[in-house]
Amino acid sequence: MTILSKKITNFNLAALCIAGVTIVLGPITHQVNSTTVALALLVVVLFSATLWGSGPAVLASVLGMLSFNFFFLPPLHTWTIEDPHNWVALAAFLVTALTVGHLSARARRRAEEAEAGRLEIERLYQELRRAFERASHAEALKQSERLKSALLDAVTHDIRTPLTAIKASVTTLLEEASNHNGDKKISLDAAARREMLEVINEESDRLNRFAEGLLELARIEAGELQLQRRWGAMEEIIARALERAAPLLSGHRIAVHIDKDLPVARVDAKALSEVIYTLVDNASKFSPTGSTISVSALKTDNETIQVSVEDEGPGVPEDLRRRVFDKFFRATTNGDLSARRATGTGLGLAIAKGIVEAHGGRIWIESGSKGPRFMFTFPIGNDDITTELNQPEGHDGTTANPDRR
Amino acid sequence: MERLRILIVDDEPQITRVLRTGLKGHGYDVRSASDGTSALETFGDWHPDLVVTDLAMPNLDGIDLCRSIRSLSQIPIIVLSVRGEERTKVEALDAGADDYITKPFGIDELVARVRAALRRASMPSNQETTEAVLLTGHFQIDRGARKVTVRDSEVHLTPKEYDLLVHFILHAGRVLTHRTLLGAVWGGNYTEQTEYLRVFVGNLRKKIEPDPSKPRYILTEPWIGYRFDPGK
Repeated sequence: MTILSKKITNFNLAALCIAGVTIVLGPITHQVNSTTVALALLVVVLFSATLWGSGPAVLASVLGMLSFNFFFLPPLHTWTIEDPHNWVALAAFLVTALTVGHLSARARRRAEEAEAGRLEIERLYQELRRAFERASHAEALKQSERLKSALLDAVTHDIRTPLTAIKASVTTLLEEASNHNGDKKISLDAAARREMLEVINEESDRLNRFAEGLLELARIEAGELQLQRRWGAMEEIIARALERAAPLLSGHRIAVHIDKDLPVARVDAKALSEVIYTLVDNASKFSPTGSTISVSALKTDNETIQVSVEDEGPGVPEDLRRRVFDKFFRATTNGDLSARRATGTGLGLAIAKGIVEAHGGRIWIESGSKGPRFMFTFPIGNDDITTELNQPEGHDGTTANPDRR
Repeated sequence: MERLRILIVDDEPQITRVLRTGLKGHGYDVRSASDGTSALETFGDWHPDLVVTDLAMPNLDGIDLCRSIRSLSQIPIIVLSVRGEERTKVEALDAGADDYITKPFGIDELVARVRAALRRASMPSNQETTEAVLLTGHFQIDRGARKVTVRDSEVHLTPKEYDLLVHFILHAGRVLTHRTLLGAVWGGNYTEQTEYLRVFVGNLRKKIEPDPSKPRYILTEPWIGYRFDPGK
């Protein structure tokens, strides 16, 4: 109904406009020549076509022709035409009017179609975006579910295992302590007693390390990691990490390569050393005894240092290369990475990633020549990024912060 | 007397270390392995009297280890598990484990289970026996006459209840999963019908337990199955 009435209105409007032009120009027929009138009427046709479409344009053309003949071509107020030239003019007017009407109506339709197309594309885009948002929401949920089960797994394993060792040790010692009246159920020699105590000591440390790792990760995730940036040499940072890792590396060969002209960098030496320690520790766990672990540091451009730790182990499947940096992710939870079970907390690489990213760098895994290559980069930095007083030192690679040793 | 041999299998070195020392202190000869494959090697070379194994291990896991050992020998196997892994426990028991212990545990608890398992293993009645009269704890069963006596008074059982009780007695002390019991008494097609079992165990308890609401013979292992204690 409304469409039909709108159409009728459009036809009426077109007729009205022709009438308007006729009424305005009619009384002054003698002052204007017929060409002006024809052009004015053509303008109306053009408007009708543009605004209301082809139907009203045709109507306007016909009405315009009639009006032109009746009111403006001599003899006036008759349907006859005196001058044969004016027949030609009238015919030319009609043809022009119809053509103009048709063309502009088509242009209008085209514009409308283009607009409809644009709207459709926009709608599809919105729909796609919503679908994408829903999907990523679902993915986030899945991720958080996975994290929750990983957390549960971590709690089961990382807390229960040390607790089991501690409880078994303590109950053994308690049982021995309550031996009396020659009613001996258990007998431990001094070495066995000492071993039990050592296990308790080591496993309490392990629990503590786990708690500290959780805390550090929570700090990183809350964006509260405070880097203590000072100028430091990679040589020293790597040496410190390897020194700490030495007890883990007795079965492995270590190859260190540091570029001669590596500049000092403005970094948190202790934190970066921790990153390298984690990578080396990881490499030692997942590569066979007797193989080589290579640690190298080089300058990729004037602003970036790249450190890599490569081992000769089986490596990390492509699809897990990002996930190993997720917290609580453990290689052996998938069972396919190594013959040896990871004894770590599943926090080390997540913390390493947090530290590297806090330095404005990034960390990833590549396939090296013989095994996986863990790489990270970070900017050399400058004195502007400062959290405390600078202690610039010589660029001779001997930089150190005595208070942080 | 030669000391009894126990093989401990766990991929956590701290745990094998503690258990080795603790069990040695109790007079056992102990060796350890860090995964299922090397455990099987040690098993073949050393012939232990009992195996204590963790469930989650690289290479051959605890369940496969139980299965492999069962194909070679009837020695008792005790699995170390953690709470919340009921399904894995059931799997391990179905694969041939005799008992389980939940981490963390006291060494006394482990030693008690080790003793019980070794004692059962040394008893001839533990094997499928054709003896005419089964005599254990408070129970006496005349298999020829299918007559059951508990604490010196005779009880009347339906055939299925009788079969169930005999199966319990023959496997006294072991943790028997729902599946195992259903398979043994009703046959392989009924292994998922745990409600059958619940009903029959309930009826059997009414007939043999002094207080069926606090059973002392047929003990429930939550989510897993039952364990039979014949009394002393």
